[in-house]
Amino acid sequence: MQLASRTYDADSISAVQELYHSNGWTDGLPIVPPTREAVEACLEWVMMPPDQLIGIEPVRGLAITAEKLAINAVMAGCLPMHFPVVVTAWMAMMQEEFLMHGATASTGGCAVLIVLNGPIRLELGAGGTFNALGNSDRATAVIGRAVRLCLINLMDVRPGAIDRSTLGHPGKFSYCVAEDEEDTTWLPLAEQRGVPKGASSVTVMAAGAPRQLMNEWTTKPEEILETFAAEMRANLRHYSIHPGNYALIIPKQLREHLQAAGWTKSDIAGFVHERARIHRREWAEVGKGAVVRDRGDSVYPAMESADQLLVVAAGGPAGGFGAVIPPWLGNKSHAVTLPLGVCVDCEPPKK
Amino acid sequence: MTFRVLDPTPGTAAPLGQLAPRLDTLQGKTVGFISNGKEGTKGFFKHLDQILREEYGVAKVVSRTKSNYSAPADAHIVAEIKGWDAVVSGLGD
Repeated sequence: MQLASRTYDADSISAVQELYHSNGWTDGLPIVPPTREAVEACLEWVMMPPDQLIGIEPVRGLAITAEKLAINAVMAGCLPMHFPVVVTAWMAMMQEEFLMHGATASTGGCAVLIVLNGPIRLELGAGGTFNALGNSDRATAVIGRAVRLCLINLMDVRPGAIDRSTLGHPGKFSYCVAEDEEDTTWLPLAEQRGVPKGASSVTVMAAGAPRQLMNEWTTKPEEILETFAAEMRANLRHYSIHPGNYALIIPKQLREHLQAAGWTKSDIAGFVHERARIHRREWAEVGKGAVVRDRGDSVYPAMESADQLLVVAAGGPAGGFGAVIPPWLGNKSHAVTLPLGVCVDCEPPKK
Repeated sequence: MTFRVLDPTPGTAAPLGQLAPRLDTLQGKTVGFISNGKEGTKGFFKHLDQILREEYGVAKVVSRTKSNYSAPADAHIVAEIKGWDAVVSGLGD
């Protein structure tokens, strides 16, 4: 296998770390040395030649190749079996509707939320239960990190360079969650979004930090979901009025109440779409009166339509918690779901 | 133990546009503004418009605003650039 990348020799593991840190090639954490052998193993796993074009970044026309993705994936700690997810996430991010350049350069400081569905979760040991949005397992940790390192090294999305985030958030190290499909009656997110049943898939969303909520004092779906909707209204008031994809992470305890009452993901989305909306005049209550102007009576829903809500079953078994993950900037970026496939000499997917 | 490791970057600089030839003077020229549409650009471009006309003799200022401040300029705006002598763009918040 003929790799095109320049090589460097380092005398020790410490020297490797200093080489990568000093060149600005890391996220600040130690990396796994991307040796030829490790990178080739990733490429062989997906049966791609090194120069396989994964896609062209739409704004600056940057060619993203399998070899460069693999190098960064190895650095992040990926094993070959993790690499197909990284490739698919990047294919999804390069779809025009994701607006990757804007989402990764913006002062708004979002991260790329990655949701895994299908059998690949079980093959990788990707956990969708305890600590689902945190350091739950190796697979989601390294996949999310790989996506970030690729952004840093392939698109110069470094803080102060292309990345102009004012604050950012911890999800910019890694932001990947597997849906707990085995412990829910709900359709998996990907199936809800049109991927055939049983296919492994990746959903990417330009996402703010999770906003955790709690309601342990009711079993009524309407009351549980009112708490989620209230958190979304808070986001509309405090952050951005732009409608778009929101994600709800619903752990087992709250999920069981909803499921017992027969509520599907579509039912949830329909209810939340009706409840998660504010009047523009509410901005005056949170210090933003200057932009209310003469449109105080205008109503702003969190989503343009109910199907913009991404409902994900994930989280540990106990605790009446949930999370709302808000969009970076409403409809400026749309979530993209793509199934995983081994692709030899094929064109980047068109939606 | 020696590690032979690989460069994780493209290795070549990202393709960049080339700067147009610099103007000798702004006198009598047409200058285009491409705003990203954010609130802070309004006062800035208004003031710049005044300076260019009053102090530098610019004949015409054309102001355009992108439909999406996080995306590249709309095609119809880019198409207009050929008719301008200079462009002020790339300004954010």
